[in-house]
Amino acid sequence: MHGRRRERHREQNREQNREHREHRERCPALPAAVGALCRALPPRARPAPDTLRRAKFDRPQASLDFWRLLYVLLKQIHGGRWTESDAIGAQVSFVKAVLWYHGYGRPQLQRLPADGSAGSRELLLAFSWLLHSLGLLEQLLARNRVQTGDEASVCTCEDELPSSQEGPGEAGAEDRVDVRYLQWLNGRLRLQWCSLHAQHQEHCKLLHKIHLFTSGSHMDQNLRHFSVTETDLIRQPENCKQLLQLLESETLQLEAFLEWKQLEAVYWQWMETVLDNMAEEGNMCESQDADVEKRRLPEVTSSCPWVDKLTGQMDRLSRDLLALQEQLQQRVAQRKAAWWEKVAAREELQKERFCATARKVQESVELKLRGLTSLRAPRRNRMHGSGRLVLRSTGAASRAGTAACAQEAAAAVSATEVLAELQLREASLQRELQQLRRECRRRLDGIAEGLEGVICVSP
Amino acid sequence: MQSTGGSSSSLPCAVSAGLKAVLPGLPGLTPARDGPASGCGARAEPRGSGFSGLSTAKAGRNKPREGRAPRARGIPGTVPPAPGKHSDHRDPPARHPSDRGAAGPRGQPERLRPGAAPAARGTRPARRSWQGRSERGAGAGAGGRSGGAAAGLMLPAGCGRRAAAALRTALGEGAERRRELERRAARSRALLWRWDDEEEEQPQPGSSTEHEDRPSPKELEELELLNRALEKALKVRKSILKTPLEAQGATGKKWAGEAHAPKKAEEQQVPVPVQDIHECRKVRAGSKKPLLLKKPSPYLLRAPYRTDPDMKKLQQKVPARCVSQGPRIAGKITSKGMTSKQGRSHRTATGASAREVCAAAEPWETPGLSESAPNEQQSFSGGGSTVGKNSIADGKQLLDAGKKSCGFLGESSKKEDTAGPWERSISLGPGTLQEKGCQLKLPLSYRKAYSRNSRAWQRCRLYQTSADAAAARTRFMERIQTTFCSPKLSLSPAEIEEELRGLQDVFSHLRQYVEAEPVDPPTLQGEYESLLTLEGLQSTVSQCLQKLQLLRAALESQLRLCPDCIGDVGSCSPACVPARGQTCDSADMLAVPLLYYSSLQELRDLFALKLQVSMLHQEIAIQKVMMAELLPVLEPRPFLEGSAGLFRAIHTQLCEGGRHFPVLVRDELLD
Repeated sequence: MHGRRRERHREQNREQNREHREHRERCPALPAAVGALCRALPPRARPAPDTLRRAKFDRPQASLDFWRLLYVLLKQIHGGRWTESDAIGAQVSFVKAVLWYHGYGRPQLQRLPADGSAGSRELLLAFSWLLHSLGLLEQLLARNRVQTGDEASVCTCEDELPSSQEGPGEAGAEDRVDVRYLQWLNGRLRLQWCSLHAQHQEHCKLLHKIHLFTSGSHMDQNLRHFSVTETDLIRQPENCKQLLQLLESETLQLEAFLEWKQLEAVYWQWMETVLDNMAEEGNMCESQDADVEKRRLPEVTSSCPWVDKLTGQMDRLSRDLLALQEQLQQRVAQRKAAWWEKVAAREELQKERFCATARKVQESVELKLRGLTSLRAPRRNRMHGSGRLVLRSTGAASRAGTAACAQEAAAAVSATEVLAELQLREASLQRELQQLRRECRRRLDGIAEGLEGVICVSP
Repeated sequence: MQSTGGSSSSLPCAVSAGLKAVLPGLPGLTPARDGPASGCGARAEPRGSGFSGLSTAKAGRNKPREGRAPRARGIPGTVPPAPGKHSDHRDPPARHPSDRGAAGPRGQPERLRPGAAPAARGTRPARRSWQGRSERGAGAGAGGRSGGAAAGLMLPAGCGRRAAAALRTALGEGAERRRELERRAARSRALLWRWDDEEEEQPQPGSSTEHEDRPSPKELEELELLNRALEKALKVRKSILKTPLEAQGATGKKWAGEAHAPKKAEEQQVPVPVQDIHECRKVRAGSKKPLLLKKPSPYLLRAPYRTDPDMKKLQQKVPARCVSQGPRIAGKITSKGMTSKQGRSHRTATGASAREVCAAAEPWETPGLSESAPNEQQSFSGGGSTVGKNSIADGKQLLDAGKKSCGFLGESSKKEDTAGPWERSISLGPGTLQEKGCQLKLPLSYRKAYSRNSRAWQRCRLYQTSADAAAARTRFMERIQTTFCSPKLSLSPAEIEEELRGLQDVFSHLRQYVEAEPVDPPTLQGEYESLLTLEGLQSTVSQCLQKLQLLRAALESQLRLCPDCIGDVGSCSPACVPARGQTCDSADMLAVPLLYYSSLQELRDLFALKLQVSMLHQEIAIQKVMMAELLPVLEPRPFLEGSAGLFRAIHTQLCEGGRHFPVLVRDELLD
């Protein structure tokens, strides 16, 4: 056991020496790579290149910066709000939780102290892992893209609804609530949807007009018309400055990203040396500890809302699936019985002819159900984010089938596609709602039976 | 034993003869769709009575009243009070007066409790007779029930508040969206309007009037005033042929001033009407006084019942509103009218005069046409002189233009035909986007920055990682992953979430398939097919169940590794972060996404459907909350007789989304 470990150590040392040599050879490139990496990060989160270098040596003074860096980056990706002044404890726990969520399983990281006072090297590793596994830079660039166009989301993921909070100014706590108040609120809500709809329609009309009226003006041949922002620029050129600054800083970021992509290899090699250093310092025994600890960990009894939500969904789904299974079992049994009866009766008559049709039927059923199984496979890339709305009349589309268009084709989505996707989504939500209502009806019918002398006639 | 207020005694359990419809279904009560005129006629009065009901309720709250409530007409807890004070209903039913009337029920529920007003509002003659019977019945047999009925409409504090909070959150969210949308629309509108009046009006952030959750006493008072105004307006309406403009102006104004009056703006808004009318008259009388009115309010001239208070507000902010608002005026102004209105706008000098045009165009739908034309002309010249930056010649031209458009009022199809000095200056001078849109050029600095930026995006997207770098990266990733304590290949929580979502999708399709399967296929072949399908579905279901088990196990093992601070994951669990493995590859992420649409209709469909989806999403969330909160209220048995009303209300809410009502029938044959 001991011998083996020593051997491994020696092997690692050898490897390390090799890498060190490599490292020294490419050394001039490393600062450039780290610098490019830092500049490719969003301005508000941008670390000093020195932070990374210090982190390599696990300097405690870098750890606070690093927690903050990860906190800010991950918050941006997860669309959460954050401020510079968020408490360090919250930052640490958030980062740990998100890393866990994405499957980063280094126990050393989870064991870092909550005051953020240590662990810069662990954080450097986690950061590097995120860089690749989440496509951190790409995601951040895409998310923070400067909007010059009129955008519409193409994403069919639903937003998390804000959890409702009971305002403090509510009717006195002991007061009971009139059910009509709920009805009234509900009516208002429906009305609000109506007016939102109307507002959307009006907005569409305005957008379309602006797009139509400015068609042919834009120098970008893929767009050919202005967006609201751009039109406004012409009208009020003095507003241009801010947008220009944003665009320019984004361009710099993109150029830094390109530079980083060219120097990437050096960085990853450098990261390997970091891993080596850690191994050298005897984290081996720690990982063994981790194994022990893992076994020792008690069953989780957490009341985290996320976990609750997920397990709730699982419970519900399994209940639904079981109910469906039962229903199917019944129906299949019935159908089978009926089928055998009939077949027995007509056996002589149809044997020959039926074999042929049976095969056909089998094929068609297979085809029908294939759609279902393909759904279960990892779903095809769904569209996410938002796209710039571009008016392209069908005639123009065919005319503009040029190279430029083809180049962009990868990213272009047509409204028809989005509409189709939305329709699917709508149908499934509608079904879900209907199902919930059916369930309510069932339960309320049960209650109505208990109403003495009153019969409930559903509408 | 007796009712404690309002109309609570009407709980209709007490019908004497045989099977009687106790609670008639009243579909469509909320946004009623009957014609405007008849709707008003029928409702003005009942609304008044609603208020008297309200006051009794107030009184009743202080000292429990003896005897039955005087006006027991409504059915407590049955008529979902339609939303009140809802500003911009632009959809046809919502614009309808009946909804505005719903301001009545906006009565503060606490005050109403044990609620009178909302119920009283829905009164209709047909029901009144029935109600009469019910009252008699109540006297005869079930007098004691009414008190219980009032109590029966109350929900226990905890669940009621949670349910209300869910709804209120949804409302707040919607209000937020509306403001945002309004802000954007205002910006676009400003662009489509003339470009030379920008110093005058900048689009402001959308209406900030929060709909509070409960009406203030002040608002209730206003409502009462409003009701009176409405009654007056009805009278005036009859005499509209005599003096259409004045009458409408006055009532419309009153309406607008009182009906809406957001809390903050109130002080400044209430006095406005008088002044406005004043000014308006002056102008009509031919005064040369420049139009100083910042809000000459187009709604001034609109028939009172079509006034949309919120619309009014918006117009105050952005004159260009008129253009887009056209179709919302209940289709009164034809599209022809709209285009020509737009055309006309070129000639107007300022936003103020433009507004006046809109205002003047309104009477088109009223009999006051003959008067509106001079009015318009006045405003044109007025507008010209106000601005003062136009030369006299321009002013003349304005006047001519005004005349022309007066002519246009007569023949609506007349199109824009003048060129004049307006169109000469293309990118600097005034004009509309429509005229000069295709000759516009973006500022050079922007063009430079833009193309540099898009070139950079393009290069990033097309960049291929070198094999060298990819190898180094993979080596690092593999090495670091060997130090993970989670078992290899186990799913990360993010992946579990995604997989679960997929399973849910499959399930909903499965159910759809099952439902689509015919119960009794006609042919032998069909029967066979159905059998096979069902069997196939069966096996898919069991596969899903297995998969679900795996996910459960994966989640459990992940939870064992999770940080103790897991509470935070809830807040970070991302709705829209594509999970690992699902992400389009990084190059795709960097592509500039373009969303092509081919026509206005398509754009509209797109937004409508998106809205529909998010509405359903919200509805489902609310439904779940309601189910969790409201069902347990009813479930304990034996069921109290008095809670029939509650039952009905909850039934409506849970099963029909508040749209329809079940009918409760008292089965007296049992006796």
